[in-house]
Amino acid sequence: MRAGGGGIVVRFTLNGREVEVTTRPNATLLDLLRNELKILSVRRGCETGECGMCTVLVDGLPVRSCLMLAPQVDGRSVTTVEGVGDPERLHPVQEAFVEAGAVQCGFCTPAMVLTAKALLDRDPNPDERTVREAILGVLCRCTGYAKIVRAVRLAAERVAGGVRE
Amino acid sequence: MLPEFEYHRPASLEEAVRLLSELGPDAKVIAGGTDLVVKMRAGLVSPRHVVDLSRLTEIRFIRDGGDRLKIGAGTTLWEIENSEDVARGVPVLREAVEEMASWHVKTTATIGGNLCNASPAADTAPPLMVHDATLVVVGPEGRREVPIGEFFTGPGQTVLGVGEILVEVVVPKMRQGQGAAFEKLTVREGALSIASAAALVEISGGRFVDARVALGAVAPTPIRALKVERALKGRPATREVLRSASREAKADIKPITDVRGSREYREEMSVVLVRRALERAVERAGGVWA
Amino acid sequence: MSSSSVLEEIRRAEEFLVVGKGVWRIDALDKVTGRARFTSDFVLKDALHVRLVKSPIPHGRIIEIDAERALGLGPVRVFTAADIPGENQVGYALPDQPLLPADKVRYVGEPVALVAAPDEDLAEKAAELVEVRYEELPAVFDPLEAMERSDVLVHEDRGTNIAEMTRVRKGNVERGFEESDVVVENTYRTGHQEHAPLETEGAVAIPDTQGGVTVIASIQYPHLCQRITARVLGLPHSMVRVIQPYVGGGFGGKDDMGPVVSAMAALVAFKTGKPAVLVYSRRDSFTSTCKRDPSVVRYKTGATRDGRLKAIEVQIILDSGAYANRGPYVLWRATMHAGGPYEVPNAKVDGFLVYTNKVFEGSFRGFGNPQVQFAAESQLDELAERLGMDPLEIRLKNLLRPGSRTITDQLLESSVGIYEAVKLLGEKTGFRAKWREYRRERAGRVRRGIGIACGYHGISTSRGVPDWSNATVILGRDGSVTVETGICEIGQGSWTAHAQIAAEVLGVPVERVKVVGGTSDAPDTGATHASRGSSIGGIGVYVAAKRLRERLAEAAARLLECDPSDVEIREGRAFRRDSPDDYVEWEELVQAAYSMGYEMSATGYFFLPKGKFDMERGLGYAYPAFSYIANVAEVEVDLETGKVRVVRVWPALAAGRILNPVLVEGQIEGAIAQGMGYALTEELKFEDGRMLNPNFTDYLIPTSLDVPEVEAPIYVEDLYEYGPFGAKGVGEMALIPTPAAIMNAVKNATGVRITEIPATPEKVYFHLKEAGVVAGE
Ligand SMILES: Cc1cc2nc3c(=O)[nH]c(=O)nc-3n(C[C@H](O)[C@H](O)[C@H](O)COP(=O)(O)OP(=O)(O)OC[C@H]3O[C@@H](n4cnc5c(N)ncnc54)[C@H](O)[C@@H]3O)c2cc1C
Ligand code: FES
Ligand code: FES
Repeated sequence: MRAGGGGIVVRFTLNGREVEVTTRPNATLLDLLRNELKILSVRRGCETGECGMCTVLVDGLPVRSCLMLAPQVDGRSVTTVEGVGDPERLHPVQEAFVEAGAVQCGFCTPAMVLTAKALLDRDPNPDERTVREAILGVLCRCTGYAKIVRAVRLAAERVAGGVRE
Repeated sequence: MLPEFEYHRPASLEEAVRLLSELGPDAKVIAGGTDLVVKMRAGLVSPRHVVDLSRLTEIRFIRDGGDRLKIGAGTTLWEIENSEDVARGVPVLREAVEEMASWHVKTTATIGGNLCNASPAADTAPPLMVHDATLVVVGPEGRREVPIGEFFTGPGQTVLGVGEILVEVVVPKMRQGQGAAFEKLTVREGALSIASAAALVEISGGRFVDARVALGAVAPTPIRALKVERALKGRPATREVLRSASREAKADIKPITDVRGSREYREEMSVVLVRRALERAVERAGGVWA
Repeated sequence: MSSSSVLEEIRRAEEFLVVGKGVWRIDALDKVTGRARFTSDFVLKDALHVRLVKSPIPHGRIIEIDAERALGLGPVRVFTAADIPGENQVGYALPDQPLLPADKVRYVGEPVALVAAPDEDLAEKAAELVEVRYEELPAVFDPLEAMERSDVLVHEDRGTNIAEMTRVRKGNVERGFEESDVVVENTYRTGHQEHAPLETEGAVAIPDTQGGVTVIASIQYPHLCQRITARVLGLPHSMVRVIQPYVGGGFGGKDDMGPVVSAMAALVAFKTGKPAVLVYSRRDSFTSTCKRDPSVVRYKTGATRDGRLKAIEVQIILDSGAYANRGPYVLWRATMHAGGPYEVPNAKVDGFLVYTNKVFEGSFRGFGNPQVQFAAESQLDELAERLGMDPLEIRLKNLLRPGSRTITDQLLESSVGIYEAVKLLGEKTGFRAKWREYRRERAGRVRRGIGIACGYHGISTSRGVPDWSNATVILGRDGSVTVETGICEIGQGSWTAHAQIAAEVLGVPVERVKVVGGTSDAPDTGATHASRGSSIGGIGVYVAAKRLRERLAEAAARLLECDPSDVEIREGRAFRRDSPDDYVEWEELVQAAYSMGYEMSATGYFFLPKGKFDMERGLGYAYPAFSYIANVAEVEVDLETGKVRVVRVWPALAAGRILNPVLVEGQIEGAIAQGMGYALTEELKFEDGRMLNPNFTDYLIPTSLDVPEVEAPIYVEDLYEYGPFGAKGVGEMALIPTPAAIMNAVKNATGVRITEIPATPEKVYFHLKEAGVVAGE
């Protein structure tokens, strides 16, 4: 496959739905999601891979969408926080973030929620250190992380405790 | 804003090599993009063509080859960190990878990218150097093997010619009686190294029968600390020997002052990191302090 | 309304239904689902994207700005100082700062022109093609040097690089030192700190049909943005509307930068008739926004043998960078807080704000106070050491108490809870025993230490400048409650606290209350800074809600056929106190009040009276009240590398009523992390005025693996009579003593006093080596 100047068609699954978009080959996945698809929960914080605000899950694993070229997601599955839960059906992680007071300005929250979900999907009962290691790649300037870590562990307890429907 | 380029996704290694030799020096390969995209955005590189290797399963594997481990260049750092084979055969590599970047970066960043980017601070280099790894390169002229010690030629520079791709890293496994360790100094967790060191030792009869030490971020390329090694080999495994050998590190390195640290600090820390890596390596080798 | 009656009422109330509870944030749902919208999310069709053209040199005359090549790229517009229709002035304390400079640039990164284009890439390319010719001028970077020089002037018209001088003269310091048995003198240095909000600065401006503009921006004070934008455009204030969407962290920086980015975006919108989007890149956010002022503090302290403070003599030099911005206020705050929360009978403090050719400085959580508390609290430990006392003892001897006077000679009648807080903290942490043990041990490569530091922080405006609060509360016919306030929500949770206050006063569940804030459409409530968001801001809500409650009580009395004073309204029901089963539902009550002709909206304006302040001697009424804090920090120091790890921090807070413990804890935990970054890792490096690390790769803010465990805070609720329910400010507190607590712990661990932050591993290592604690390699 090859594409230049004009545009390139990318097909992938976004939050469970098939999408097909034409994008510039030099667009990043972040550009594609924010500018073309208007997924605004994916945020631009640095564009150098350091802050984690642009986190999305690709095939279930967290990645930096600002460092991935848009054509690189062709055929893969992308999850943003919109695909995790909505106000009527919050994911246990989202519920726990609300309850534990893990949200302040909220700019980092989608990235944190996605990372926590990816972690719990692999490891339903992570210890504190594991949680801290998992969110290392998402900076938060407001909370000092304590309540975020608590929220992830609270969510784990709930899920493990069969609170999930 | 990224420079404008054409995007290519070859379906096989063979196609990739052909494509690269057609496109010539204006082409760059991309794997995880965690170095390349950052550099493109900063305007440090502006390739006209970008060739995507991230789907080539041919170069994405961890294979047991008896006394050696073969790691495909397209293997992600996250896969390496989670590999039992790596944990058993090359634990010092795993130790280094564990301390690199973050989960989010490691899910896409590859070992091949880390090596080919050729940063003096590339954290997978010192462990692979103490393991005397061999790099397998494929290009228009066919396949060749490069000892890792000869791979780096300067900051951001390697022996790779136009159209050549790194496909595999072959790492001799740890043997009975050997021990290895990695040390990295950063200002903060997940940050880039001020300096790093890996050590691998083999002890027999209370003496160092083998000792290999490599350092990162203290010279234009990752380097072996040959003077330190010489000061250890054949000598008794005592703290005193180890301490004085570590001091030789200063003569092995050529550090600069940059935003991460001064030359003076790097000099002193090289000694500390080498000593600490050696101490832990000796313990892991089952060494008893004489 | 009489304030004492409010306090009385609150003291009588035994229990609150909403206040003091860990109510969930009212904005949390939007934020966890990703629906919260920030400035950069408002990109409208046909919008122009704006990029900055920045100065590459630290000091120079602008000879020519040539936009020809940029304009040749396509539909590009370029704006310079010449295009500004109104007054080209955004200076806050002094009129020294142009929006875009006309004659000369004063720091690397200063925006000299704005480039606008229909797409981002085009705007970026065009910005690179704008050619600015400069005549370079000699530059000055070190504030100590700048103070002395008059040949290199950052602002020629001022004739000096000293932008402001402040002073406090209390008692007689000469005598104070004579009476002292020990005198300790040291010089302390602190570096820049970048706010690093995860959302960078930005503004979206939309022209309206009447020739005005609406600005959506990342801000902390909508009415200030309105005033400055109107000034730059030459419009009446009423023609500029400013709205705050969600803001991704402020910490003070967006208080200062909000007006600048608003005016820039508005200029483009105004001139082109099209919406304009300006979002700073991370690099812009580093190179071209204000920072915490670096400081040099020379500090001399004297005390008697029994540990009583006798005198301090302090010189504070703040490096203001290229513009004064808030500097004079920052300096005044630093000056008036220079003594720490202690009784100091004799004080002489001199402050200097100095221009240099570096990025300008400004508001940042703590506002000048962290710099001086670092010095003051380090001094105290040094003094204790000389006296053979422990750090706890010397503090308990000197802490402010009700009836004490501050160094500006202000009498503190009440609401001074620091003594009790420190006592409790000492007990909880087992401070003395640990401190002695670590001091005795001091062996091995990795050493442990424990340190304590205190802080205090005047809330609201200073030096007798009156403060005020204002809010509107509106009851809908369906019983819904709207609170309108100018206070911004920047993550600190003020809107949640406002909703709690309104709910408590009105007697409705908090879910019924909606807060519309951060907009110039609401009453001017002042800035969301100085820890005043929930405390001062909340008073207006309290007063307005109280007015409505009185009307509702009258209406209810008519329905329940009783006296208004017998009416109780709680949890959405009004009833007679003696027969709770006989009630009226809230909706019904509101509707009835409407039909009876009661006005169901009220404004709550509250003017905070202030005493006198003598600027000559720096004496008098500095602040209406102070919040107090003490932190104990436990650290590990790796002697061989110089790396300091903060293991644990125990905070104790005396900030009046704790309105919402979850929010307060969040503020404390966040402030400690930010204070730790300030103390240890966050370092901006410059070479000839050029920033070497304008990125998160090498400007290192704490991650999840760096932050210490923060223990549950100790609260001493020293109620403040003018605060809503007795609350004082919280937001800035825990950052203020954190650097000193950490460095005092490092001293305890190693025996070495580090007088310079950030104490990066390299700096600590060389200090230890110099002190002979490590041999070096
Ligand atoms: C936030 C962050 C933190 C980081 N932390 C660390 C750290 O702690 N330690 C560290 O060492 N690095 C770190 N890095 C750098 C980077 O992540 C690693 O170097 C990574 O391994 C690069 O792999 P990649 O697949 O992303 O490479 P890419 O960016 O895809 O490629 C890098 C370079 O190698 C070339 N290349 C890639 N694969 C091949 C191949 N098979 N054959 C030939 N050439 C090839 C590319 O053309 C390019 O020039 C960090 C990066 C970020 C963004
Ligand atoms: S935007 Fe900061 S990591 Fe991608
Ligand atoms: S909540 Fe503000 S950055 Fe995390």
